[in-house]
Amino acid sequence: MLDCFVNDAGTAFAGGTSFPRRFGLFFWGNGTLPHRWTPEGVGEGDAWTLSDQLAPLASVKDLISVISGTEVRVNNQIPHYSGAAGFLSGHAPLGEEGDNTFAAPSIDQVIAAGIGGETLYRSLEFGAYPGSGLSFNGPNSSNPPESSPHAMFERLFGVGFVAPGDDPVLDPRLGLRRSVLDAVLEQTHSLRTQVGVADAARLDQHLSGIRDLELRLARMQENPPSLESCSLPAEPPLDDAIATLSERNRLLVDLGVMAFACDQTRVWSDFLTHPVHNFIFPGTNAGQHRLTHDELDPQSMVHDTVIQAMDEFRYIVEALAAVPEGDETLLDHCAVLATSDVSLGRTHALDEFPIVTAGTAGGFLRTGLHYRSETRESASHVMLSLVRSMGIVAASFGEDDALVTDGLEELEA
Amino acid sequence: LTNAQYENSIHDVLGADLFVPTDNEPDYRLRGFLSVGAGSASISPRGVERFEQAAFSVAEQAMEPGVREGLMECDPVLGAGDSCTRTELARLGRSLWRRPLLAAELDAIAAVVTEAGIALPDPWDAFEFGLALLLQSPHFLYRVELGHEGISDVFARSYDDWELASRLSYLLWNTTPDPELLDAAEAGDLSTDIGLDLQVERLLSSPRAREGMRAWFGDMMHLAELDDLYKDPGVFLHMSDSLGASARGETLQFFEHIAFDQSADLRTIATSRTTFLNREMAALYEVRAPEREGFGQVDLAGDGQRIGILGQASLLALAAHPVSTSPTLRGKFVREVLLCQLIRAPLAGVDTAIPPVTEEAPTLRERVAQHLTDPGCAGCHDPMDNIGLGLENFDGIGRFRTHDEGALIDSSGKVDEDLFEDPVGLAQLLRRHDDFAACLVKSFVRYANGAGEGEGQAEGLDWFVYEQGLDQHKLTSLISTYVGSAFFRQAGVLDVAPASPSGDDDDDDDSAGAGR
Repeated sequence: MLDCFVNDAGTAFAGGTSFPRRFGLFFWGNGTLPHRWTPEGVGEGDAWTLSDQLAPLASVKDLISVISGTEVRVNNQIPHYSGAAGFLSGHAPLGEEGDNTFAAPSIDQVIAAGIGGETLYRSLEFGAYPGSGLSFNGPNSSNPPESSPHAMFERLFGVGFVAPGDDPVLDPRLGLRRSVLDAVLEQTHSLRTQVGVADAARLDQHLSGIRDLELRLARMQENPPSLESCSLPAEPPLDDAIATLSERNRLLVDLGVMAFACDQTRVWSDFLTHPVHNFIFPGTNAGQHRLTHDELDPQSMVHDTVIQAMDEFRYIVEALAAVPEGDETLLDHCAVLATSDVSLGRTHALDEFPIVTAGTAGGFLRTGLHYRSETRESASHVMLSLVRSMGIVAASFGEDDALVTDGLEELEA
Repeated sequence: LTNAQYENSIHDVLGADLFVPTDNEPDYRLRGFLSVGAGSASISPRGVERFEQAAFSVAEQAMEPGVREGLMECDPVLGAGDSCTRTELARLGRSLWRRPLLAAELDAIAAVVTEAGIALPDPWDAFEFGLALLLQSPHFLYRVELGHEGISDVFARSYDDWELASRLSYLLWNTTPDPELLDAAEAGDLSTDIGLDLQVERLLSSPRAREGMRAWFGDMMHLAELDDLYKDPGVFLHMSDSLGASARGETLQFFEHIAFDQSADLRTIATSRTTFLNREMAALYEVRAPEREGFGQVDLAGDGQRIGILGQASLLALAAHPVSTSPTLRGKFVREVLLCQLIRAPLAGVDTAIPPVTEEAPTLRERVAQHLTDPGCAGCHDPMDNIGLGLENFDGIGRFRTHDEGALIDSSGKVDEDLFEDPVGLAQLLRRHDDFAACLVKSFVRYANGAGEGEGQAEGLDWFVYEQGLDQHKLTSLISTYVGSAFFRQAGVLDVAPASPSGDDDDDDDSAGAGR
């Protein structure tokens, strides 16, 4: 496990002079076409040009970095899942009789454990295409994503939301709800002493959820942080009124961006789609997973789906860059990772792994860069850099062949 | 608890008219069953938050004027003169937690209600907090069934009466024990064979047992996934938003008819021609709708290709792609779900492309032929595809067809070494397959125990399957054999929990639950 703690830079937030760092994950399922994904040229600025599949990112090229040529070093035993778990957690997944789960926390939860404790929500998970997501606290302990913008709005900005400058409403029920949770906490603790190892681990997760909720209820009665860009967003339409996957994703992202701006959370994950998903993208004639396996070369429909996913990533980068924070933007205080579960879907390949980052996390990461690994370095190096970019002191990321103790030097400023 | 059990339990204890939010935490499938997931997966922080909101939503509704009178046997009052709060918390708590509350537990809950009574002027509002506490408790949200060490055998932890009541009720009715069952537990009846049999008989004679057993079959067949059925309506003209629910309705009524109305051999589900269709399903199957509204019994033509569970749209649509069929997915479903065989995931790094439609290879049979000839693929694909190809006469949502891409479909195939000519032959082979009867038993035990088989239980299962064979594979005998067995009465060996991780529990307590 990581030995996580946060140094001063990660949390400095006093006096409005320094802003907290945030982490975002953007995930899409079933990979890329690597030969049309990798950019031409390496280095910074004009030294490289975007590839076909990355073309949608033209408007934000200086705000992102592309890392190509790395590989996820886990035994690729479970197609799609080995890559997702291997990259996001640095551990090969556990799989018994087809029940796949992560052996260790995914990167968003590694980071949330380090920097999530100060906000109303330790982390948020959302995703336009319904599914169980890839945010894990540990084995069989996942954080399922929200796919309804309206439900997410109610949760973040519904009853109890206090905008900067407003006074919190002092509701006696909030205190009583905490008393109820205290009693539930007590019962759960007591039960924990009587059960086996596996159930004790489940109850530990439950206990941590109860403590998070207690803390949230307490903080709802405090004055909110004074943040210039925080305001109550418009209420999104109900689910039935949302026509496309893209529209749904952007509504969710808008709420996620405002949750960052209001410092309600510092970590979120956006799952546009999932490994093995069979969503039929506009302009294609079959489920996307099916296409990756069955469409004939040059797989132009698969190509089109990757383009559509990258356009969603562009939207995220632009939305974060549009929010001012001090003299900079919200994006400047973020590290956002965009990735998938495989590179070439047809063969479930784990080399040439698709990795794009956005934001500098307060000057820690370089942008405008294409770094190409000529030696098939472990993709875990990128993860360790991202964890450290949050101000978290971490000695390593991953285990066995995926274990690294160094970040990716070229990505770090 | 699964989401269905959560909803059923609240409806039964607090009132059938209450709105119970069930999107708190998605059900999680393990070892093929949502019921196993409910026994193994953790609740996420968001889930804890949702369960808290749901608890207050339910408690608030229950304390509304006009509702509370039907629920409460007395009126709570504020202050020292209140004798009602404690007795009502104890009564409702016993039903929700499926056991009597310990005095210390009751004290803690009553103290919260007292605290609420100081802040809020209305005693009903104050009681709401006690009710919400009962509903958020791990003793309600989890089925706490630990078992107790016996004197004679330290490895066999026997369930006590309360635990048996809970196990029996969730198994047969998919809900919390009713007052009569709790009274039987309190009287110690359930730890006697006679007392237990009496309750099994009583619960089975109720229509609710049909609901409970539908829950098993639906879980086994993955029917919940029909809610998210995703098919291209441009390809499948009969696709609609309600097709998934209609297909599920057919399969569940079909199962109920065989298991209860006919009390027949469960293996009949492979070969029965009697099914239940509504208008939508009748249109899909091209038969006359038996009823204007709802489902009615239909006897499918005896010489047709549509027969048994393999001919039902639920299975045929679930095990297929959004725009086409999939012999592989269908064969996999039959192997894994109906025969309880494990199919290994495909090797990573294999190029999985299926060749295009050509004049020489117009149908999927020719196109997937590589699966069956390439030795690297055939080991796993042969046993799946050769079953699935037998169902190619049914398209991706289960509509009958004779041609694919203009070519006549050949629906022959083989199960292990036995050849078949068409779906009817496949259904008959399935019915006779030894693993099919064994799989029904194994699935039932997994579902009922909410767990995979523990160490040393596999042999017990073999014996169980044998017994079941002697008794004509009836559901009622399956249930009574199970209830009489150690699978039902005894918990596995308990791994001893380590001390709490340091820093996690400085206030580690002790008293309340210790003697349970």
